[in-house]
Amino acid sequence: MPSAIALGAVPGHLQQSLSDLDRAIPIGGRDALLARAFELRSGREKPNRFWKIDLDAIDFAAVAPAIAPPPQIRMPDGRGVFACDLQTALRDHSELVARALGTAVDRGGSKFAALASALCNTGAFVYVQADAAPGGPVEIAYDAGGALFPYTLVLLERGAECTVVERMHGQSGAFVAGVSEVVAEEGARATYAALQNLPEDARALFTRGARPGKDASCRWCVADLGASLTVETIETAVRSRGAQAEVTVLFFPTGGQHVDVISTVSHEVGESQSRTLVKSAAAGQGQARYLGNIRIAPHAQATDAALRDDALLLSKRAHIDSVPALEIAANDVKAYHGATVGALDEEQIFYMTSRGIERQQAETMIALGFFEPAIEHFPANALREEVRAALRAKVNA
Amino acid sequence: MTDRGLRISDLHVDVAGNHILKGIDLYVEPGRVHALMGPNGSGKSTLAFALTGHPNYRVVSGSATLDGEDLFALPPDKRARAGLFLSFQYPAAIPGVKVANFLHAARQAVRPGDLTPSKFRALLMEKLQTLDMDPAFLGRYLNDGFSGGEKKRLEMLQMAVIGPKYAILDETDSGLDVDALRAVGESVHALRASEEGNKTGFLIITHYPRILQHIEADAVHVMIDGRIVKEGAAELAHRIEREGYEGLREEIGQLA
Repeated sequence: MPSAIALGAVPGHLQQSLSDLDRAIPIGGRDALLARAFELRSGREKPNRFWKIDLDAIDFAAVAPAIAPPPQIRMPDGRGVFACDLQTALRDHSELVARALGTAVDRGGSKFAALASALCNTGAFVYVQADAAPGGPVEIAYDAGGALFPYTLVLLERGAECTVVERMHGQSGAFVAGVSEVVAEEGARATYAALQNLPEDARALFTRGARPGKDASCRWCVADLGASLTVETIETAVRSRGAQAEVTVLFFPTGGQHVDVISTVSHEVGESQSRTLVKSAAAGQGQARYLGNIRIAPHAQATDAALRDDALLLSKRAHIDSVPALEIAANDVKAYHGATVGALDEEQIFYMTSRGIERQQAETMIALGFFEPAIEHFPANALREEVRAALRAKVNA
Repeated sequence: MTDRGLRISDLHVDVAGNHILKGIDLYVEPGRVHALMGPNGSGKSTLAFALTGHPNYRVVSGSATLDGEDLFALPPDKRARAGLFLSFQYPAAIPGVKVANFLHAARQAVRPGDLTPSKFRALLMEKLQTLDMDPAFLGRYLNDGFSGGEKKRLEMLQMAVIGPKYAILDETDSGLDVDALRAVGESVHALRASEEGNKTGFLIITHYPRILQHIEADAVHVMIDGRIVKEGAAELAHRIEREGYEGLREEIGQLA
């Protein structure tokens, strides 16, 4: 590999922004992380025309990180839960933040995680006390103006139960590189739902990581619908017995959108379970690429892992590459994967039209129905309706 | 005066380059039950699909009119809106589309805006009860994971909810146990007894006469090798039950 790829050139204005950022949000380690971001390859340089994102393609001259407004946060009623912006959390609850920060996301482990962590200019912290179970979700809404580097950290203590809903909206031309980190201690049950509906000329790079403790569960429900370019990395590290991971992702590039998703569940101990469900459609010249990793370590016996990934192509020029990748080193496990790629089924369309339903309406119903098994995993009826409405708008566009 | 009825004249249909229907003449009267019988492969289902407009069935020549309207000039959805209904032998499964939503979309398409949501709900409940079906059906995905019997019941529920002018039942009896068969018979009777369906004409396609113990046919048409070879009253079905199609083949052979 030639070293002349010119990695490591940290733009000066990014370097200079770090001290101001860290004075406001003293998350620490920024210099090293920024250097790391520009020294790592993205891992996405493989020779394939649909595998296109790299930091080298991002014009950082136009990215000016400054402290961004905190997200809007809505908390449910009930004891034992609080949520606040990251700045406040680092001032008032620094020990709690320190307990979770960087324990489920390897901040220096990948290019985009390092970039987002180094330039963090807003964020939120959600904390749920042992055995507490708030009555509704914690809702966090980001509004990306120019460059947004949000860090959302969630800590559930032993036996706690909580749902976090993150909504990502923004202005035209926004650039977002964010991290979501979820720590669920023993027996806790965490659900993290994220709806990204940025304007179609925005760019979004997300790194999400979860760490379920013993008998704990972490559930991801992610919908990537906006932005011209989305790179979504979702990792769950199962390092405790009895832990459960659930990963649900749906995405739908239309027009000239590109979406790149990698989900990884690593079973490092046995007697754990994971379910991954990915539903993607593409229309217009939409392009998407999905890589679904399931890793089962040699000693992780009695692991039960399943990955299902369905892709629907709604136009001739749309393209979805789908690669389920199972690395199984243990011999006493249940591991399933299934993948389909297809167009709308003419028999289904005929069946519906034979009932008087117009062809276009039939196609819309079938396409929306295709996503429905994934939508049903999302928490809260209002959020599901939001996802459906956003999908409907894209189908009918 | 319009020509009432579902009228098929000298219909020739190809499927994948094979000439299947070789000149069908058939007239289904409003309010009457016609049985179309014949051995497997005689072209009965081809007739059903050609009438409803399946893209794989190519009409070579001939005509079909529904109360005077040229069916072949219409796409499938408009044929349904004109009043035609097909109960599929193998209905498509559509995951993610709930039965209730589908039924509502179909009713809205065929009879736009005739019921408020609450009245539609009441209609659904009434039809479910008539068909002895669990309301839990409504929340399931369309035909997804349904047993054969459940699929046929759902076809009958759709027929009841839509209330078509002409209903073709394509082997709705096949693969059904006695109870399910009785339910099919009852759903036809229920539609005929309803205000929407008292003028409905039925074309009941079957190769086995036992469905006709539950639904009495006013006329029986026998199709062999893409042609209607014999027509008669209900007695013709009983004869087929006794003798099979072989007796008819011999008789036709003698005539030819």
